[in-house]
Amino acid sequence: MSEAFTKAMARNIFYGGSLFFLLLFLALTFDTEGALPDRDNRQAITEKVAMGKRLWEVNNCIGCHTLLGEGAYFAPELGNAYKRLGGKAGIIGFIKSRPKDGIPGRRSMPQFNFTDEELDAIAEFLKYTSEINTANWPPNIQG
Amino acid sequence: MLVGERSMTRGSNLPDTTRYPPGDLAVWIFILAELAVFAIFFVAYAFTRMQHVVLFDQYQATLDRNAALLNTLALITASYFVVRAVAAIREGRVEGCRRWLWAATGMGLLFLLIKSTEYAHHLGEGVRLSSNTFYMFYLSLTFFHFMHVILGVIVLLVLAARVGRGCYDARDHADVESGASYWHMVDLVWLILFPLVYVMH
Amino acid sequence: MQYQSQAVAKLYFTAAIGLFAGQILFGLILGLQYVVGDFLFPAIPFNVARMVHTNLLIVWILFGFMGAAYYLVPEEAERELHSPGLAVLMFWVFLVAGALTILGYLLVPYSGLAQMTGNDLLPTMGREFLEQPTITKIGIVIVALAFLYNIGMTILSGRKTVVNLVLLIGLTGLAVLFLFAFYNPDNLVKDKFYWWWVVHLWVEGVWELILGSILAFVLIKTTGVDREVIEKWLYVIIAMTLITGIIGTGHHYYWIGTPEYWQWWGSVFSALEPIPFFMMTVFAFNMVNRRRRNHPNKAAVLWALGTAVMAFLGAGVWGFLHTLAPVNYYTHGSQITAAHGHMAFYGAYAMIVLTIISYAMPMMRGRKAANSNRSQVLEMWSFWLMTVSMVFITLFLTGAGILQVYLQRYSDNPLPFMVVQEKIALFYWLREVTGLVFLIGLVLYIASFFVGSKDPEVAVEQAASPTA
Repeated sequence: MSEAFTKAMARNIFYGGSLFFLLLFLALTFDTEGALPDRDNRQAITEKVAMGKRLWEVNNCIGCHTLLGEGAYFAPELGNAYKRLGGKAGIIGFIKSRPKDGIPGRRSMPQFNFTDEELDAIAEFLKYTSEINTANWPPNIQG
Repeated sequence: MLVGERSMTRGSNLPDTTRYPPGDLAVWIFILAELAVFAIFFVAYAFTRMQHVVLFDQYQATLDRNAALLNTLALITASYFVVRAVAAIREGRVEGCRRWLWAATGMGLLFLLIKSTEYAHHLGEGVRLSSNTFYMFYLSLTFFHFMHVILGVIVLLVLAARVGRGCYDARDHADVESGASYWHMVDLVWLILFPLVYVMH
Repeated sequence: MQYQSQAVAKLYFTAAIGLFAGQILFGLILGLQYVVGDFLFPAIPFNVARMVHTNLLIVWILFGFMGAAYYLVPEEAERELHSPGLAVLMFWVFLVAGALTILGYLLVPYSGLAQMTGNDLLPTMGREFLEQPTITKIGIVIVALAFLYNIGMTILSGRKTVVNLVLLIGLTGLAVLFLFAFYNPDNLVKDKFYWWWVVHLWVEGVWELILGSILAFVLIKTTGVDREVIEKWLYVIIAMTLITGIIGTGHHYYWIGTPEYWQWWGSVFSALEPIPFFMMTVFAFNMVNRRRRNHPNKAAVLWALGTAVMAFLGAGVWGFLHTLAPVNYYTHGSQITAAHGHMAFYGAYAMIVLTIISYAMPMMRGRKAANSNRSQVLEMWSFWLMTVSMVFITLFLTGAGILQVYLQRYSDNPLPFMVVQEKIALFYWLREVTGLVFLIGLVLYIASFFVGSKDPEVAVEQAASPTA
């Protein structure tokens, strides 16, 4: 006697459907890997940029800021900081000028006491990031 | 273990062919979801095309319409064979069912072969998903469908093997109906895809 | 409780509740920092508090999942746990590693923690939700492997039910996908692309399998509906989850440097992601309506239904709100995302853990099936306080998000981020006050474990037909 709705068929659809879409996802990933060199600005990744990314990470910048829209929403988007703050000098000047004890009653970025080399690396990283092709996101300079 | 209430269990005095929809309900849930995906993609295609008519017409001309027509015939024929296979098993003709399923599988493989040569041609010319909006839709839609045909062929193969092993008879063949329903869905999608992507100006 | 070894789950559940309380406290600190910017600065800056908030969430949910597995796997497999000793050992390893990590966040500057733990050897730190030092990540992998071994051996040598198999697939997927946390290339786009393989494929993929199997288990137990019926729906729901959710990853690939066709693929598939959640809601209510017994643990049934509804609202509806690429262009990385994140995590994952705790704890604490009436009433109060608070937190954040998007991204004269933040401060205040109500709910929840423990248990009302 056959059932109108069987567990066996539901199981087949689970396994078959999941595998199907997993393969499709891998196919799209394969194509993405092929298309990325034209978009991800990889030719700009120097040792300085890599160092900047490491500094970005070990100071947990993502815990307050977004970068290309991902991260915390407590402080401004930094994917376009290079453009918004007026280049590397603007970025370095801002980071350097943060008061050690914050600003009374307001949000403030901590003073990280970076060396000049570190500041330059962070600025280089943000410059590289700003030149990634993000399909015109964010909508405007305010991020 | 106690068999629970099964509201959909039919009385054993009813012939199997009266059930509607045919096959397993789980497959129909799957089919509806798949059709929803295709429907959204088709609508997206139509709207995007309206905004880029020139671009779409220009690159549509690079497609091989004859191959696609041949493929349409292959899928329609396959569907016909699948219909015959279901009819055969409903009458208990196991061997007939098996043969029709094999024939349908052959038509499915023919489709995959023709479509593969089309893809080889496009890829050889450097066409990718990111080439332009038309190719993005063309490759996305047809490749998504292509994968469905592969799955459909696998389903038909498994069914043919199981029919050959005598797993189904005139009374118990819901799996055959389920597989047939899925195949018809794959065919139906192509019948919309073909005019939409290859023919419509 | 049918098997002695199920009792190890009690440790895991207790830890989960404790860490949950910690998560909420840090959430309140964060909420206050949104409006009183220098609160606790520079002792606990926002990024540290947020890291503690989100990492505690992940860890307590993982404790909850493991506890759930240790509780339900023996009962489903109809045998004792392969090694209760290993389960207890791994509990302490995980708890100590987790506590040390959190203390590290709070006591050492993050860059110092990175240096202390040798992040340079294999840099994995400093990415959202994956902030843990690399050695902690390795510890997580070891704990996960030991856990999977323990659970897997139990399942494979016992009765193989669908609930167990789906749970095992989900947990295995969880462990395997976590390995992408160790991939951190200098190329930011590739970093982000594979980062989502952990984050998205966890919460919109394999975690939903775990959620589905726990929910199915509790429904089988509390409604007495035939296992066959529940299991086939479980299959259909998780099939839809993966069918929509895997390609749905594409909704994170719109603006991070990935090819633009993801805007189509991501939009189409993630538009369908609410379907499995909707099916889950229909399924849960259907099963409870078709129940063959009135289970005395009314609180557990309430949590189970609440999970289904809130997961649909938070993950399904609030996810859909901003998942289509043209909408997401404006909402990406705004308070809209925060609103969705809060209700989805609470509705899907916090609530399913609270569901299984609610169901299992009374039995592990020596009751036959349920707590006393007083305890259950208090627990149900806590359910409503926390759940309604979360709805309002989500609504306030959504309000904040809509205003933020308009002022900062959509209007003719877009305003700078910080200017906009001040303009929408009222919503943050409302969110913070609602957060306090949530805390009251949590206090009542914890109190429900201690209230009425001497009172008699709610009687089992057996329906006419016996359960299977």
